[in-house]
Amino acid sequence: MSQLRKDPVVNRWTIVATERARRPAAFVDSQSTQTDEAQCEYCQERSSKGIFEFEGAKVINSATPILDQSQLFERKSHGLYESSHSYGSHEIVIESQNHVANMADLSAGQIRAVIETYAKRMQTLRQNPSIEYIVAYKNYGIAAGSRNIGHARSQIMAVPVLPMRVDDKIKGAEKYYDSHERCLFCDMIAQELGNKERLVAQNDDFVVIAPFASRFPFETWVLPKFHHSDFAEGIKGYEASLSEIIKDLLCRFKIGLNDPAYNYMIQTSPVKNPSLFKENYHWHIEIIPRLTRVAGFERGTGFYICPIPPEMTAAFLREVELNA
Amino acid sequence: MPELRRDPVVGRWIIIDHSKGPTDFPKDDNTPTRQAICPFCPGREVRTPPEIDAIRAYGSTPDTPGWQVRTVPNKFPVLTAQDALEKHGNGIYDEMTGVGAHEVMIECPDHEKTLTDLTSEEMGMVISQYQRRYRQLSKVDHFKYVVIFKNFGSSAGATVEHTHSQIIALPMVPKTVTEELKGAEHYHQIHGRCVFCDMIAQEYNDKERLVAENNSFLAFCPYAPRYAFETWIIPKAHFADFGQIDQKTQGHLSQILQDVLQKIKKVLDNPSYNYYLHTAPVEYSNPSAYHWHMEIIPKLTRSVGFEWGTGLHIVPTFPQEAARFLREA
Repeated sequence: MSQLRKDPVVNRWTIVATERARRPAAFVDSQSTQTDEAQCEYCQERSSKGIFEFEGAKVINSATPILDQSQLFERKSHGLYESSHSYGSHEIVIESQNHVANMADLSAGQIRAVIETYAKRMQTLRQNPSIEYIVAYKNYGIAAGSRNIGHARSQIMAVPVLPMRVDDKIKGAEKYYDSHERCLFCDMIAQELGNKERLVAQNDDFVVIAPFASRFPFETWVLPKFHHSDFAEGIKGYEASLSEIIKDLLCRFKIGLNDPAYNYMIQTSPVKNPSLFKENYHWHIEIIPRLTRVAGFERGTGFYICPIPPEMTAAFLREVELNA
Repeated sequence: MPELRRDPVVGRWIIIDHSKGPTDFPKDDNTPTRQAICPFCPGREVRTPPEIDAIRAYGSTPDTPGWQVRTVPNKFPVLTAQDALEKHGNGIYDEMTGVGAHEVMIECPDHEKTLTDLTSEEMGMVISQYQRRYRQLSKVDHFKYVVIFKNFGSSAGATVEHTHSQIIALPMVPKTVTEELKGAEHYHQIHGRCVFCDMIAQEYNDKERLVAENNSFLAFCPYAPRYAFETWIIPKAHFADFGQIDQKTQGHLSQILQDVLQKIKKVLDNPSYNYYLHTAPVEYSNPSAYHWHMEIIPKLTRSVGFEWGTGLHIVPTFPQEAARFLREA
């Protein structure tokens, strides 16, 4: 029998297979094609100057930017429809000078430099009054949407609109706060630390869980145990413990699932009017290995079928031997 | 120049770009091959659970050959019929038993054929079966929403290549549909008109996104799509519920659906695709606000983390470009 579960943030229901659940090992997905160092476009950036550099991490403008700031941001309407020039910025963070593919293989110190780079770029990009939201994310592996595998990098986009799924999360958290005057994510963390079955890892400052109504097998969220709505401000003083827990989690994926493709995205509060979100929103990182394909049902309904319960994936990830 | 565009129903912004034409996407080989082991072929009826409904030759018995369209329970259902729908709270979380139905509609006996190869009469039977199952499932206790959808090609999620669609009945209205309903209801409250009817009027006026039409339906590429070559089929007359369309309209639907699928096949070289029906929930109270339609999405690109996390889709082809290719095919 399967179970229907509701995500308390965005009120999205998920079907979680329980009895006919696939075993965790059935998702193991190894990747092959890697670009070699001699042809790597990111290695060739070693000698060039980035738009921002920080302790070995380098930020460059995307070679194929989807957003640009050549014109002023202006919204136009056409009958029912609204549009604008695709205003914004699209940057690539080259995570290391070395030709290392998976962030899991960087040192915690290198990961820390990457995280701090995100925060510093966010602080700079939010100065632009036309920007509504800044998203830092990573596509690792072909199945995760990367063009090639070889050199670890991530991306930062600054956009002049509030993306729909981000807005969903924020509205859901606002609604909960309105009824309870507590942060939904703080309550979630308390419940997850209490019952432990969906707990993947934790340290003094951060917790990693497999969310109750996971959309994807092995979906995980990294949340700070202390309340803060904004990533760039909130990580101050916690950079080292965040990078340690990210490295820990990425190594669990790499070893347990045999180097799968994955995406992560930092979910943080919108840029404008930060005081509106201070109490009710709680920044976090969503990390999702790409192990299954999305079919018509999910595309058409936003209703996901998760082929394995998160309690099972959390147990599997907890038990991965990191020093094996 | 790339653009940001906002969907007028749900308010979703997307980014759109000129970077790709129809031949710039990776190709899928969707030629049928695995006939020898196919559980959906005639003569192997015992390999599926017992049939629920079928359009079959007069006098032929269920679960034997002689059918043209055959509906069976999914062998691996995601939801199943249960005696009771139990809802539980679990701290901040909500859960309920997986009550529902999950059926497979085998669209024709011939393993070599896909929807585009069917005669108009055969295609008509597929649509008629859709509606019959839809109406039946809408009457079952606890079922609040019925989704009809199709996955064609393995990269669109099809696991059996013999042409088929699926139907899932759910004990709640799914999120994407709720968002559409809310957007449409909001528009109706402000304007006293249906947003989809206004969209049809504007599409006729703008013309550049039109793909095809017949007496009852219009096919067009939406202004703010989520995917390249996304195409909608919408009834010209205002109807909230797919279950209400009459036999003649069913015929027009099968005609335009086949026409659009043929165009997609030709322009994009037989790509994998998904389609699904968006219709009003069971016992919907505001039928003047909503307008049922079909969304067809060729599976050409992978959604990346950014799109999953933000809902801000990056679409590599403008809808007026896609529509022009499809119109001229």
